[in-house]
Amino acid sequence: MAEEILELRKLERRDNDMELTYEDGTSFVVTYDDLRHACPCAKCSPLRNEDEMSMQLRRTVEAYPKQKPMVQTVGNYAISFEWATGCSSGIYRFERIWDLAHRNDPDRGRPYVHGAW
Amino acid sequence: MSDSPVSMHTPGNEPTDEAPNAADPAQQKQMEQAYAQMKRKMSMAEIGRKIKHKIMVLSGKGGVGKSTVSTGLAVALAQQGHKVGILDIDITGPNVPKMMGLDGRKLHVEGGRIHPAQGHLGVKVISMAFLLEDEDTPVVWRGPIKLGAIQQFIGDVEWGELDYLIIDFPPGTSDEPLTVAQSLPDIDGMVIVTTPQDVALLDSRKSISFASSLKVPVLGVVENMSGYTIHGKGTPGSTVEIAAPAGRTLSAVCDEEGKFNITLDIFKEGGGRSTAEEFGVPFLGALPFDPGFVRGGDDGVHRIVSEPDGASAIAFAKVVSSVQSQLAQGSGSSLEII
Ligand SMILES: Nc1ncnc2c1ncn2[C@@H]1O[C@H](COP(=O)(O)OP(=O)(O)OP(=O)(O)O)[C@@H](O)[C@H]1O
Ligand SMILES: [Mg+2]
Repeated sequence: MAEEILELRKLERRDNDMELTYEDGTSFVVTYDDLRHACPCAKCSPLRNEDEMSMQLRRTVEAYPKQKPMVQTVGNYAISFEWATGCSSGIYRFERIWDLAHRNDPDRGRPYVHGAW
Repeated sequence: MSDSPVSMHTPGNEPTDEAPNAADPAQQKQMEQAYAQMKRKMSMAEIGRKIKHKIMVLSGKGGVGKSTVSTGLAVALAQQGHKVGILDIDITGPNVPKMMGLDGRKLHVEGGRIHPAQGHLGVKVISMAFLLEDEDTPVVWRGPIKLGAIQQFIGDVEWGELDYLIIDFPPGTSDEPLTVAQSLPDIDGMVIVTTPQDVALLDSRKSISFASSLKVPVLGVVENMSGYTIHGKGTPGSTVEIAAPAGRTLSAVCDEEGKFNITLDIFKEGGGRSTAEEFGVPFLGALPFDPGFVRGGDDGVHRIVSEPDGASAIAFAKVVSSVQSQLAQGSGSSLEII
């Protein structure tokens, strides 16, 4: 991930999605469904390795009642979301949020391998 | 302390059972405990202000090099001219004093405050070892007593002004980090030390999840003992073969002077980086396997002091600068969350 990303300045939580505003004033909308489907935690990530399971994960997150999450910065590199239902473990690096905002695959096409070697 | 808002009791001055109007001794005792607690809280808040950066060093598994990394960070930061302290919270195996050349020191208490010992480059050290009668009998405090001792160690130590306080923990996700995180305000974050083997990495993953449950940010992962480089000589231009772990054969070609070097991955390679990536936390760098660390730990002269231009010192410098750049990046506070 050598590509430079801009600094996220504002995150506005709305009913079904969040609006992200970067330092240059550009803003993007990411739905909570997209966000949750891209959860980087060790439980959710492997589910995106195969299309079938990934679709199942998608249906699972879409079925959750729509609710605004609690949002917290993690150090200076990431944000975390706490949801009333479902998984809240993922720590989203700002690069990941940037990818979601720009509709890039946040996994960069790489399958998740536990332990990664 | 004369500037304390409550002036009913100065430790050691007033026998408790002679206090006037004490309703009953139990109540009196409770009040005193509450008072001591409050005083400690206030001094913790003050310590929080006087120490610019507080860094916890943790690992899931024991023996992966936390204390080596803690003392190395401290010494490297002191080499840069910073005022540095180390708090060694490991009760059962406190070995920071030995590594800092402060073997056999006892706790120094003056005016009701605990004063740190000073090791190499003026690094201030407080260790549970200072409480031990002799090195071979570890303290086996459990539960509340242990945690109370830790709180006391944080609240009653006269650190003075520090740029960095490094806190070295026993292995695992136990009560100690929780107690420290709850007592000491504004911890900058934790450094997680791992070795590149599955069990250690698995435990590091636990530490990372643990960090988020403590609401302390992870500054990053350090991979320790990552590879051992052998240097040797042979006929110039010839190929040397070495039987490496996992049945692999490694080879190198001797240069025109006949010198060669080969790095053996004693465990596995790159696990620390991939664990960091998996959890989306920064990777701070890898430290080579270097027997000099063991010698340095035993004779109290850290590797990066005894061989400041060696490969290990260079690797350490990288880790230190990654830690510093993590600290420098601010706390993400410019993000407005609505
Ligand atoms: N990179 C290294 N190369 C070689 N030996 C090392 C290295 N790092 C640490 N060691 C040695 O490994 C042993 C354990 O290191 P250390 O005491 O720092 O680990 P620890 O994680 O603090 O252990 P504990 O869990 O008992 O507190 C020590 O003898 C130390 O000198
Ligand atoms: Mg140790």
